[in-house]
Formats: sequence, C-alpha cells, structure tokens
Amino acid sequence: MAEKVITVRNISKSFKQTKAVSELSFEVEKMTCFGFLGPNGAGKTTMMKMLYNKCTRDKNCGGEINVFGYDPSRNELEIKYLSGVVPQDNNLDDELNVIQNLMIYSKFYNIPSKAARERIGTLLEFLELSEKTKSKITELSGGMKRRLVIARALLNNPKLLILDEPTTGLDPQVRHLIWDKLRQLKKQGTTILLTTHYMEEAFAICDTVLIMHKGRKVMEGQPHDLLEKHIEKYVLELHDDAALQRIFDNALPEHTRIDRSEEITRLFSNNVDYLRTLAGSLEGGHYYLRQANLEDVFLKATGRALDDKQ
Amino acid sequence: MTNSKPVTHPSLWQRLFSVWYRHMRVYTKNIFSNGLPPFLEPLIFLAGVGLGLGKYITQSMEGLSYLEFLGTGLLVTSAMFTAAFECSFGTFIRLEFEKVYDGMLAAPITVNNLIIGEIIWAGTKGLFFSFAVLCILTAFRVIALPYSLLAPLVGFLTGLMFATLSLWITSFVKTINHFNFYFTGLISPMFFFSGVVFPTSNLPGYIQPIVEIMPLTHAVRLARAVCTNSYKFSILLDLLYMIVFILVVGFFAIRRLRRRLVN
Repeated sequence: MAEKVITVRNISKSFKQTKAVSELSFEVEKMTCFGFLGPNGAGKTTMMKMLYNKCTRDKNCGGEINVFGYDPSRNELEIKYLSGVVPQDNNLDDELNVIQNLMIYSKFYNIPSKAARERIGTLLEFLELSEKTKSKITELSGGMKRRLVIARALLNNPKLLILDEPTTGLDPQVRHLIWDKLRQLKKQGTTILLTTHYMEEAFAICDTVLIMHKGRKVMEGQPHDLLEKHIEKYVLELHDDAALQRIFDNALPEHTRIDRSEEITRLFSNNVDYLRTLAGSLEGGHYYLRQANLEDVFLKATGRALDDKQ
Repeated sequence: MTNSKPVTHPSLWQRLFSVWYRHMRVYTKNIFSNGLPPFLEPLIFLAGVGLGLGKYITQSMEGLSYLEFLGTGLLVTSAMFTAAFECSFGTFIRLEFEKVYDGMLAAPITVNNLIIGEIIWAGTKGLFFSFAVLCILTAFRVIALPYSLLAPLVGFLTGLMFATLSLWITSFVKTINHFNFYFTGLISPMFFFSGVVFPTSNLPGYIQPIVEIMPLTHAVRLARAVCTNSYKFSILLDLLYMIVFILVVGFFAIRRLRRRLVN
C-alpha cells in the first residue's frame, strides 16, 4: 500500500453559528494530487488550514489529523517546514521586488543567502519568471503574481504542496502552465493538495477528488470513476421552452433524467442515439448535445436535480 | 507512518529574527521617506521652541532649561508614536487588507513568533527614532554625550511598551477608523500629561494617579535620568514598571491577537 502523507479522520470545525467542516475523513497518498472540490463556503479552505494549524479543529470532535506523522496542533512547525502553502490571496509585499519577496521568505526557512539565491534562480526559471527577477510586484500581471506565490511556496523543496484555488481568475494560458508545473512537481515526488471550484481543473490534474458541500463529503474518488458511477454519459441541453413542452408531451423513456434550471433544461442519458433523435426532432437548433462532465456530477450531488419520476 | 529522521525547523531565535528581518526589509526599502522624517521632526520642534516659544519660558523645569526639558521628553515620544502607529494602523493593514500574515504563517513560524517578532521590530523602530532625536539634540548641544547614548535603549523599551499596548488595542478593532479613539483618547493625552511638555508635579492632586498609570510618564523619567546622568532610587521603579508593563500587556495582546490570526 502506498505511503500516506495525510490522514484525516472524523474532523469537524465550527465557527460561531455555522459548521464549516463536518465529520470529514480522507487520506492523501504520497506523490498524488488530491483535490477538494466545492462551491464557495463548502469548507475547503478551512480544512486545508487545519492541516497546518492556521485553523484549529473542534476540541470535542474526537477526530485526528496526521501530516507526515505529525499532529498540527502539536507540531505545526515541523509540518510547515516540510510543506509549502499557496494561500487564496497572493499577499506579496508590494514594496519589494520579486527577488526580495523570495529572499524574505528564505529567511523563514533559514536558507543561507547564497543557497537561497541559487534556489530562487532555479524556481523563477521553473515558473518562467526569470525576466521579472527585479520587477516590482505592482508591475506583474495576475498570472505572474500567482506563479510567484507558487515559487515562494516551493522555496524549501516542500514534500507537500498545499494550494488554495491556484488558478482562480487566471487566463487559460496561465492555468495550463500552472497545471503543467504541478504535474511536473508531482513526478518529482511532491504530494499536492489543492482546492478548486473548477471541475476541469480537478479533472485535469487530480488523481483523487473529494467533493464537499456544506462542510460534508458528498463523494470521493478518481475523476473518471466519479463520472462513470454517478452520472449518465451524455447531456442534451435545451434552451427553448417550446421545445421543452413538446418533449414533455411525449413520455420520456426510462433512464433519462431531467434537470431544470431557470433558463436551461438538461436531459441526461446513457443512450446518445436517443438524445440525438430527440435533438433532431427539434427545429431551430436551440440545443447542445455533449458528454457529461464533473460539473454535472457536482450539481447532481449537491442538489437541484429532478429525476424522471418527478 | 514514522519519520526516519526528526525535522530540524529553524530555532526560536532564527524564527524571531526572520519576522524582524521581514519588517526591516520592507521599512528600509523606502529609506529616504522612512528614514528622514525622524530627524526632521525634532529639528522642527527645537526650531519652534528655540526661536519662538522658548523666549517666553524663562523658568527652569525640574532644574533643566526648557529646551533641555522638552528635548529629553521628545526622545521617548518619538519612540512612542512610531511604535503606536506601527502596531495599530500598520498591524491592522497587514492583518486585514494586505493579508501579509496569512502568507507568513504558512512558513515555519508560530503565531507567537509572529507577534513577538513584531513587538521587537517596533522596539527597534523606537530605538532608531530615539537615536534620531538624540543626533539632533547633540548636534545643537542641547544635551551632552556620553551619558545620553543610553537614551536609544530607553527608546527601545518605550517602543516595546507601546507595541504591546497597540497590539492589544488592535485585537479589539473592527474597522481601521477605531484607531482614531486610541490616538485622540490615549496617545495625545499622554503626550501632554506625562511630563514631556511641562512637569507633572504641579498638576492637581486628583490627576496624579492617572499620571502615574500612564506608561509614557515612566519612560520620560528614565530618559531624563539617563541624559542628565542623575539617578534616584525611584528610577528603578520606573524601569520596573516598564518591564512589567511589557510582559503583562504583551501577554494579553498575544492571547487576544492569536484568536484573530488562528481561526
């Protein structure tokens, strides 16, 4: 069995009124990428912060957190020394330039100046920021700032990299670049834990995905397995009320599920031919036939779904 | 799952130093705009008093000329103001707006390391600001070397005192505007009623206990004793007050601020 880097058992976290994380358990294997998936406020960030004691778990929850064999409530320094964290906000020092920002953090890890400079050179090259070494932070684009924060998290050669929404708000080029870098890091032996609310991100880089909703685990597994087990293969999206009415006039065959939102109605089925026939019968072409994706799994798992009996 | 070898994270001193170093680097990045005003401010004060106000004040105060009296007070008020600003507005901005601490706490330092490093940094700024006043006072022969060279150390202690007090206040503050109450309600009165601008001995009896409670009073006494090289036993009590203040208020500041940094 593969070595476990993180073991979390039955952890809860309450803030005054709300329960942010509820009886959550999961394990992260070495050299894998583990993703927390969920909408804003699902408890993803809170769970990640509990791993390095930026957030404390409920004392009475009776659960257990183990990172590299350490309990964050007792050995946060050891965990932080072995990990790199990319927080949700970039929080770089605007007064300082790129290399100075990194030099300051090298002191936190007690890396000697000369070694730090070499390491920073390598990291800036790795994240394709070499040309920006002397740039002011205010001159950097959003994508560059994000890559710089990732470089900062990598200063001490972390065995575990924790990223909170690494690519939120970034353009596709930068997102793909970051994904590539994360894949490379994983190959080199880094274990990666990230949160995201982009399903495609989870699908692109995660070996295991844990879908969270209102602090609870909704489902967990490999992205492909989740797709296979929890959702029909194809979706027909209808944008037209009249077309919808005609479909409702005919009885739906079995194994077809309807999911209605305000503007769009989605028909889910494993039978692509049936959906295609249905689509063909529609005039005007206000429809879109596609494969189901993780987003559909997520929406199904977290509610809003109507099945064909309703 | 066991670790083959124990992890050697940086030692306590290295951790405190790294926090201090971060603040120092950010501060000295704008050395001109940050470093010059501490020298200009006492210059303006001395010019105002020397050229204007001083002519009307011929009476000596506690045996000192007015320039000497005010100058030795300014040694510590400069430290008070810089530490108070650093650990109120400065800390609040790092905490709430820039989210600097979120990044720093992801590195191998604890919340306590972070806050204590911050307090030591504010003390260092107090030391530097006192030193700047000392340079001006010495240049204009208001006070004499070498005894006064100890004054920046008093500035350091003053900085620590007001760092702990300001951090404790900051731990209550919800919006940055609340600091207006702190500065007009506490810091400004302290400037006037702690024996900096005039001696407190002639103030009405009912104000005396308040004067004794104010931390700045003790810093001013210590600074004057150091500059004039005239020590009384009571100076030891002033020093004791400052040390106890730093430890006690610092303890509560850390305890309260912790809750804002760790959810």
